[in-house]
Amino acid sequence: MSDAFTEIGRALPRKEDRRLVTGRGRYLDDLAFPGALHVSFVRSPHAHARILGIDSVEAAAMPGVMGVFTGRDLDQWTTRLRLAPPIEGLQPTELTTLPIDKVRFHGDPVACVVATDRYLAEDAAECVVVDYEQIPAVTSIEEAFAPDAVLVDETLSSNMVSHQSLCVGDPAARRAEAHRVVSARFALHRHTHAPLETRGCVADWDDGRAHLNMHIGNQVPHPLRSQLAARLGLSESQVTVMSPDVGGAFGQKIALYREELAVAALSRHLRHPLRWREDRMENLMAAAHAREYECRTRAAVSETGKILGLELEIDEDFGGYCFYPANYMARVIALIMTGPYRIQDYAYEVRVALTNKCGAGPMRAPMAVTSWVMEGTIDAIARELGLDPVEVRRINALGPGDLPYTMPTGEVLEDVTPKETLETAVAAIDVAAFRERQARARSEGRYLGLGLCTVIESTTYGSEFYKSAGIPGSGHEAAWVRIEPSGAVNASVGLMGTGQGYESPLAQAVAEGLGVRSEDVTVHMGNTDIAPYGMGSRGGRGATAGGGTLYLCALKARERVLAIAASMLDLNDAGGLRMRAGHIERMIGEDWQKTGLALTDIARRAYLDPLALPEGVAPGLDFSHSYDPPAMTYSNSTHACEVEVDPQTGAISIDRYIVAEDCGTVLNPIVVRGQQQGAIAMGLSGALLEQVIYDGAGQNLSATLADYLVASPNELPEFEILHHHTPNQRTPAGIKGMAEGGVMGAIGVIANAVSDALAPHGMTIERLPLTPQSICALLQEAATSPAKRTQL
Amino acid sequence: MKPAQFTYHRPASLAEALALLRTHGSSAKSLAGGQSLGPMLNMRLARPDHLVDLNDLIELDSVRVSDDMVEIGALTRHHRVANAPELRRSLPLLSAAAASIGHYAIRQRGTIGGSLAHADPAAQLPLIAVTLGASLVIAGLQGTRNVVAADFLQSIMTVDLRDGELITALRFPLPVGGFWAFEHFSRRHGDFAIVSVALNFAQDADGKIDALRLGLGGVDTVPLRLPEIEARAQGRPADEDTIRELAAATASAIAPEDSAQVPASYRRRLAETLVIRAFQSALNREEGA
Repeated sequence: MSDAFTEIGRALPRKEDRRLVTGRGRYLDDLAFPGALHVSFVRSPHAHARILGIDSVEAAAMPGVMGVFTGRDLDQWTTRLRLAPPIEGLQPTELTTLPIDKVRFHGDPVACVVATDRYLAEDAAECVVVDYEQIPAVTSIEEAFAPDAVLVDETLSSNMVSHQSLCVGDPAARRAEAHRVVSARFALHRHTHAPLETRGCVADWDDGRAHLNMHIGNQVPHPLRSQLAARLGLSESQVTVMSPDVGGAFGQKIALYREELAVAALSRHLRHPLRWREDRMENLMAAAHAREYECRTRAAVSETGKILGLELEIDEDFGGYCFYPANYMARVIALIMTGPYRIQDYAYEVRVALTNKCGAGPMRAPMAVTSWVMEGTIDAIARELGLDPVEVRRINALGPGDLPYTMPTGEVLEDVTPKETLETAVAAIDVAAFRERQARARSEGRYLGLGLCTVIESTTYGSEFYKSAGIPGSGHEAAWVRIEPSGAVNASVGLMGTGQGYESPLAQAVAEGLGVRSEDVTVHMGNTDIAPYGMGSRGGRGATAGGGTLYLCALKARERVLAIAASMLDLNDAGGLRMRAGHIERMIGEDWQKTGLALTDIARRAYLDPLALPEGVAPGLDFSHSYDPPAMTYSNSTHACEVEVDPQTGAISIDRYIVAEDCGTVLNPIVVRGQQQGAIAMGLSGALLEQVIYDGAGQNLSATLADYLVASPNELPEFEILHHHTPNQRTPAGIKGMAEGGVMGAIGVIANAVSDALAPHGMTIERLPLTPQSICALLQEAATSPAKRTQL
Repeated sequence: MKPAQFTYHRPASLAEALALLRTHGSSAKSLAGGQSLGPMLNMRLARPDHLVDLNDLIELDSVRVSDDMVEIGALTRHHRVANAPELRRSLPLLSAAAASIGHYAIRQRGTIGGSLAHADPAAQLPLIAVTLGASLVIAGLQGTRNVVAADFLQSIMTVDLRDGELITALRFPLPVGGFWAFEHFSRRHGDFAIVSVALNFAQDADGKIDALRLGLGGVDTVPLRLPEIEARAQGRPADEDTIRELAAATASAIAPEDSAQVPASYRRRLAETLVIRAFQSALNREEGA
């Protein structure tokens, strides 16, 4: 990291923690709206059924009930969501605000009850009688793609809502000439985001001004406002989105969901503020799910384990509705699959299935499965060829001499260090010493395993990436910086934090660019009347897109401040000036010396004595800037962990966990560390515990937190974090972004470690989660059929 | 997740509580710590018309140790059961099991009477009550009756408690031997166990097992005590062969059912493993002491 930074890189405590940890945060439920009505949704008990009729006469007559509204009602007051980007192989989809004719998953909302309090709303919701005619449910990818499959979306020609492929080089020829072709399979299970705070909103229609104030915890306030306006037939001038403090999102709070749109439309219809708080069962069952993939690889390899060619198939279970284009997540996985390795002959085929489950969306590391698939393939190569998995990584890994490296998909890697992080992690965990311990333990009937997983994390998507990947969207971000007459510094950006701890690092980016103390900068986010139109928080773009734009905007501000300072000091130009901690300094001889002039003096002149400003300088100190990051920015890391598998119970204990990570310039090490820990925790929780479970009829069996198991600190090890800091040459301040790679690495490393532990049994992990019962079943199978290598 | 409407009562005495329960019969539910009833009300799985809140019945929050038994009031919180010195001395198995329930906040609220009345087949305290031969003191307006725990627990969440009745206390006989262990396996810290094992025994002068009490949770609709395994252990040396034999016999003696996520074979395997580990931990603790 550059030593030239004075504010970037400081370990400043998170500014928001003062209010959050003292119970003074203001979340949606802390906001009072006198007289607000409450909403409860009637949800489908069936996975797939026609709606023959909805009888709400009794419910509507109950005390306190203001109305019961159906999909047909809402269809008059809202437009439908049509997703039809010009992407080859993607079927266009359209959906109504609430289903009208048919429900597509267990938990699908069919009617909306509005009452004077939530209790009465739920009482009435129970009394709404929906006449369903059940249809067979499609509950797996295999069923969805069967030739005679029932259609989940009857307007489509098949359940294969998206199908894309690519072939670069000649993988078939590489296979033909290979020493060996190694096949591997990876099935990742359905997850859900499970934020501490569920979804919720208050829609407050101001009938006099014909204006909607939408209070909602959301990651992308401006795009959400555009969606709300479009779907309600309003102009963007008629909608303000305000995001209060948010208790976690992880990708679940990006789309405009049907419930939220219904609440907004009904606030306008009833001319009344309406509030909705999703309960936990609704959140687990019907908010958004993620990650259900089946992946297969075929690697053509040489005798030494060098990868000559790679072929990848991905099938994704997308659930019943497309809130995002169905190619959105799986295609990125295919685009960055080869990641840290030197591979040029590459083919992929990506198929996305609609099923009768909750719709899928991005979840912290939408490309999470990538690293497990690639690194599991590497381990499969090592296993089949009898090679050391570390050596197979070394022989294929991209080193400094390979960069910049154009991946077969055209993605360019630069300023990444996969070989370096691999060596750091291998040295730190001391693979040789572990192998000795492992051998000793095996002789005592104990099963230790070591896993490795190198991650190339796509953090920040520029507009160029979206365009070339055929995904609609912009990657730009916008910011303003305003120095007030007193010298106070305010700034804003289009991001919205949901617990990451943005306030300090973003203030640091401004402070660095401007030359003030980070403590003296306030960054305002989440209100679309205040924040500039940016694309919000998603992926790992907060630091590069958000921090980068603020930094560039602050540089602009600094230039003006120094120009005014120069005139106040009677200098010809600002060449020998700088600002530090709000004080103007001048280079005299070899030293920077205080001039006695401070930002407050300059601000006073800019606002209150503008006639004294140099010629051509406009009054005020108000700056804005927008910035479109490079096509893609990458961070990288290598995870290493040691596990012990208890063959009696199937329990897995993690004895040691190391990650060597290179995320470039770090704005704030405290926040980065929190993100590293949180991401690894999330990955391990998913790989070991979390699982959305549907039975064969499409009934959701995991709708409480007693069934959908999220790791607590008791289930997680200490994480040892080792740092590399290779700045990106093309981004502001060398920032790369991070916060999702930990999920990618954790999933891959734990699966690989358990496979290593089970190697004496000839067993490989091909399916997550790693439940103790599945481990025992695997061991039992190994005992009865020693030749078998696949997981149940 | 809001409960259906009910009328809330907060009696100040046991007599008043019993009168309310008799008046409202099967339309009433009594609320103790609320750790199970609370969520069930919110999910509308329980829909009483009357909720009788017992939390003011301070006379039921009590621990009394006498020469031959320990009486614990029904409203005694898990935290107290886990930590009260007189219980940790006299019924260490019960205290250890109570300490493993949920998390700190849950143990501050949950009560021993509530746990028995709720009768989750995987819960700790019903298992210990069955294993140690505890009985329940049940009050009704006609007077009180005593029921042994094994008879009280009839099936999943089904107990011998009639309308208008209330558990007022549990009575545990003092255990005969100093060897005890509670072993449970759950996927996360604080969850209900998939399988749990409780045991208590003495050793005679030659180190032979005497008066074994062995109970298993999570393998049937109610916690099971296994008298045939206990009889088989009588007079046998507490060595590895015996322990393994008893564990294998335990796995054969139970008949768990397949559930959506946990196959019966896995429960059996856990039962066998946990019996072995329970014996080992009982013996190791005694050596350490």
